[in-house]
Amino acid sequence: MNFGLDRFIEAMLYRSPPYILEHVQLVLIPLGIAAAIAFPAGVLLTRPRFRRYTGRVMSVFNAGQTIPPLAVIALFFPFLGLGYRPALIALTLYALLPIARNTLAGLAGVPFEVKEAARGMGMTGWQVLTQVEVPLSLPVVISGLKTSAVLTAGTAALAALVGGKGMGAVIFAGINFFRVELILAGTLYIGIMALCLDRLLSFFESRITPSHMK
Amino acid sequence: METAAGVVKFILDNSGRIAEYAGNHFSLVLTVLAFSLVLWISVGLFISRHDRLAGGVIGLANVLFVIPSISLFGLFVTIPQLGLGRSSAALALILYAMMPLVRSVYRGVKSVDRWVIEAGRGMGMSEMQILFQIQIPMAWPVVFAGIRVAVVMITGMATVATFIGERNLGRLIHHGITRGNAEMIIAGAVVVALMALLLDYAMGLIERKVTSPGLRHGDRDLQ
Amino acid sequence: MIQLERVKKVFPNTAVPAVDELSFTVEQGNVCVFVGPSGCGKTTIIRMINRLVEPTSGSIFIDGENILQVDSDRLRRRIGYVIQQVGLLPHRTIEQNVGLVPRLLNWPEDRIARRVAELLEMVGLDPAEAAQKYPYQLSGGQMQRAGVARALAADPPIMLMDEPFGAVDPILRGRLQDEFLRLQREVQKTICFVTHDINEALKMGDYIVVLNAGKLVQKGTPMELLSSPANDFVKALIGDDRGVKLLDLTRAESLVADGSIKSPAVKDCSCFIDALQPVKMALEQMMKHDTDSVGIRRGDEVIGALTWAEIKKHIHRISGDEG
Repeated sequence: MNFGLDRFIEAMLYRSPPYILEHVQLVLIPLGIAAAIAFPAGVLLTRPRFRRYTGRVMSVFNAGQTIPPLAVIALFFPFLGLGYRPALIALTLYALLPIARNTLAGLAGVPFEVKEAARGMGMTGWQVLTQVEVPLSLPVVISGLKTSAVLTAGTAALAALVGGKGMGAVIFAGINFFRVELILAGTLYIGIMALCLDRLLSFFESRITPSHMK
Repeated sequence: METAAGVVKFILDNSGRIAEYAGNHFSLVLTVLAFSLVLWISVGLFISRHDRLAGGVIGLANVLFVIPSISLFGLFVTIPQLGLGRSSAALALILYAMMPLVRSVYRGVKSVDRWVIEAGRGMGMSEMQILFQIQIPMAWPVVFAGIRVAVVMITGMATVATFIGERNLGRLIHHGITRGNAEMIIAGAVVVALMALLLDYAMGLIERKVTSPGLRHGDRDLQ
Repeated sequence: MIQLERVKKVFPNTAVPAVDELSFTVEQGNVCVFVGPSGCGKTTIIRMINRLVEPTSGSIFIDGENILQVDSDRLRRRIGYVIQQVGLLPHRTIEQNVGLVPRLLNWPEDRIARRVAELLEMVGLDPAEAAQKYPYQLSGGQMQRAGVARALAADPPIMLMDEPFGAVDPILRGRLQDEFLRLQREVQKTICFVTHDINEALKMGDYIVVLNAGKLVQKGTPMELLSSPANDFVKALIGDDRGVKLLDLTRAESLVADGSIKSPAVKDCSCFIDALQPVKMALEQMMKHDTDSVGIRRGDEVIGALTWAEIKKHIHRISGDEG
């Protein structure tokens, strides 16, 4: 391996930082939109009226996971052209699956007896949802968010292929010119981002989880 | 519909090339799977017996998993002994498979009801007999969930290896992007997805063969 | 025969010993019940006998052999072990579960098959129906029976049973207890039985060991415990209905004095019980028929009568202090 410390420092301090903000956006915006779609959808799909579809929707989600990330990124560009927006849409779709999957699994996994007991005490459907189902399924839901965040942070590197900018530009430059320092620097920043997101979500989780459930 | 017809036409017109790419893709996935299963199931079993190592090993697997696939491929290419092509691609994919496999084996073994183990020990089963006759057979459902996640993931990520010289289905997507050819991209995505589904299905069949009917009751759809 | 000599167990990071300098002997063919509140060390004792827990000090002998000198796995294959959670292997059929220890001992397959069928029959499961089922297909009571069959498989001379009937409903528990007593008359094992239920202890035990905070409080037959409890702890454990419990353990024949056939009470009797039935049944009949005397029969022959006054006198005599 042809590694130069000075070139690595240059890559860390000057070549990569301009792409940080773009990459953060490429992760946070799709994640936010995906969560905004997946949570209500998950809640809706576990209501009594739709419950019989839960299994089928789940298998659609599982099948969706077989589409390779590279293909998800690439699929939109022939229709929407090159650029930032197609990349955002593709990443949103990509981020959606783990969140939706875990929301569904989390809500469906709340023990029937607990819901029954809550109803028996006179809680309305809305109260059962907000005071029983959501708090109990939160750990599973958050772990879906974490998985999604980590996967999206990595996959966003591929956005550079379709003109979506981000840290991928640094990494691809490194691959094309055989510059290990560039690859390392880009990877390091993406890793740090993924780690920060993971920690942030853990912190969020610990703040809203009742202490006895930890 | 126009696109769908275009995709079918593209696949028919290029069946020779697609078959070659699919063959390469499949052999890479199978190679990675074979090595990963032997390596990571052993590691998973090992840390389930040595809990002090578990945190570190699973932490390492998580860190590896955070590295974007394109970076890991790119980094291995720059190592002269590996270079462009199969060994770099295989090594990177094997490392990715560590997280789902090691974690599921560890979890599977650890989730075995302690009273079943207590009963086994109380009847005079040795630690090895408890491992091979109780813990491993009872862990299969959890382990297979991990194997299936890993298979689907490896098949999808293998497409990225096209950037380091693998002539596989990722090439259709890669070239589709550079030429602005939607049919080509979709054809690549569809064939990869089919391959992933096929492998997932095959793993499901093996799971049914391996897992005792005594463990297959109840609703496992949502796990 | 199981002997414990000054056995002590202190778990790491605890100040108080779980079992404190305990010594006693369980004779061949006896059922010894360990009873006491949770945390009294009763489970730890039987787990030390099959070396799932190693004693801190003291020694345990089985038929004169120090168990610490036997390989622990081999020791356990000679000791039947039944726990409340049963712990059937969910991925094995009932046949495989029951045949587990014989397979560990490398019995030939045809002998295992015969043994399994015999055992399932013995514990009241239909071999044709149950053998190929998986544990999840059985009811709680059936699982418990399969657990007992599994423990008996290699015909171990010793059985350790940790609240074996604790997880089933009271009606089923009573039935399993009766079946177990019938089985024990047949197999004559040396049994250590743990329970927190004093009624179960009185019913199952040849001897009862009462424990509190790791210490032996009293050891004796059910009758000894009821008639002369060692202290207030044992009295509280037995409860306020000591007299009635005594009458449940006393056979009617033991109260019929020789020659009581001539007693004037006999001709007044409007109801009868069998000589082997407990005295409690006599009270039941008295209440039902609104009378003060019950005739005692052995077969067709009337051997005597019990009167309300005699029963009262009996209670006072053996429980001594109660007026």
